Amino acid sequence: MDVLEEFIVESAIDSEARSYRMILEDIISDLNLVNGIGRLYVSIRPEDSVFQMAIVLRKSFSPVKVSDFSTLDTTISDEKGVLIKLDTEKYLPELLGNLWEKYQRPNVLQPERRTLKILCDDPESEIDVIADMVVDDPQKTLQSKLAEMAIRAAPEGFRVRYHHFQDNHFIFVASEEVMQDKWIEQAHEMLAKIIGGDSNVQGP
Amino acid sequence: MSRVLEPYIYEGGIHKHGLILELLEDIGGYLVQKTPAATEVTLIMFIPKEDVPLMEDLAGNLLGKLTKAPLTGVEIAVVSPTLAYHHLPHSACDIAEHLRRDGANTNMIGLARGMGRRVAMLNDYERKLINEHDIALYSFGIFRDCIMNKKTRLFEGIEIPVVVTGGPGLSTEDVPGADLYIGNIGRIPHRMRKSEELNALDVMNKKVGELVDRVREDLSKDPPVFLAARVMKEIQDQVPDISNVLTPSPITLQLNGLRVKLPYDQYHEKIENIEFDEGFRLSEVADITPSMMKNYILIKIKNKSDTGFPI
Repeated sequence: MDVLEEFIVESAIDSEARSYRMILEDIISDLNLVNGIGRLYVSIRPEDSVFQMAIVLRKSFSPVKVSDFSTLDTTISDEKGVLIKLDTEKYLPELLGNLWEKYQRPNVLQPERRTLKILCDDPESEIDVIADMVVDDPQKTLQSKLAEMAIRAAPEGFRVRYHHFQDNHFIFVASEEVMQDKWIEQAHEMLAKIIGGDSNVQGP
Repeated sequence: MSRVLEPYIYEGGIHKHGLILELLEDIGGYLVQKTPAATEVTLIMFIPKEDVPLMEDLAGNLLGKLTKAPLTGVEIAVVSPTLAYHHLPHSACDIAEHLRRDGANTNMIGLARGMGRRVAMLNDYERKLINEHDIALYSFGIFRDCIMNKKTRLFEGIEIPVVVTGGPGLSTEDVPGADLYIGNIGRIPHRMRKSEELNALDVMNKKVGELVDRVREDLSKDPPVFLAARVMKEIQDQVPDISNVLTPSPITLQLNGLRVKLPYDQYHEKIENIEFDEGFRLSEVADITPSMMKNYILIKIKNKSDTGFPI
């Protein structure tokens, strides 16, 4: 699925739909969500006070573990511990934070930029614990960004909200009035239309 | 016969800008605001019309720029329905900044419950605060239906001219209660830099300038006893504590009054007792009340017909 391969914004008046599309573009780019979203379908009807949004994400991300970006070893010349050699520094701040919390600061040494030494009594068992340690969860970050995007994108007075997140699909409905079932159903239909890819919906 | 004063902005280097101030004093003009920024300085001032060429020559010699600032001496409330991400910092701040370029003083007012369609409302405090200004500019969004039918409730009780900005191209008559509608400035979540956005802001400044001219014309039929700039000068001379106030523009000029950013309880008597060469005290020719903004002092200068005596 390409980046934003479908981007549909519907409203009763075309010029207003175009303006809203621009707002959404700005929000997506502000939140750095461009690479995450594959298809997007937004419908807004101010006269009914309802905002509906359906999103298909491009892919799901798995959590990043220490073993994904480093090699671990227990052979440290004269001390007991685990030696971590990092391939990338990208996750170093989170990793150091986790290690400090678990092993205390004096036991976490960093002889050079990409090498960490963890002093512990039982390196053989700790090496597995460290290898499985999760340092980043892009899926969770994406979800929180999507929630932020939904709140920013909806007109601000629309504070009665419904959201649904499953697999790679996100639905958001917001209104100022009591939430109606048919609006939620419509949003699910919108999602169904864009899930197929070659949808028959025509944006302005 | 009273002299005609013209509002101008001088932008130039801080080096030798004192010459501008000296000339201004010599020709009887008023300095409204001075904003130094590193090696640059911006001076907003009223210059007697016949002496403008003198000032232009001096500004040219100092390699500075003297431009007309039609909104000088006007305090504008830029009202956004809330202080949420949807309105700020763009576009409400961009609007306020652009108005300031023409000399206006702007105050941003975010309403407590201005959002939405059915629930949008203005509370009493907000209404009084907005009414202290010369003009209220409401920054709305992109939906025609909201602007025409729903948000107009936010103008209830507003006695000053109401300007509305929004996305759709409507005419002023389409927006009940508004004195001026300006289109193409709707909800814009990025800094307004594109040429069409800047053009829309220029149009806004021009139209607000025309509105101010109309208000000034109305006022001139029964003008305030003193020019607000004159009262400002007397305050600067007779209440020296004003020089210690650190807020921007400690004395803010309005079309028929001033906002003095000193605590009312402590200073209102001093302000009331300000004397004029003509033999009057300020309290005789102006209403001096606590402002709804913090605990400042609001001065509204009486019209000539109200005072009962000529000056």
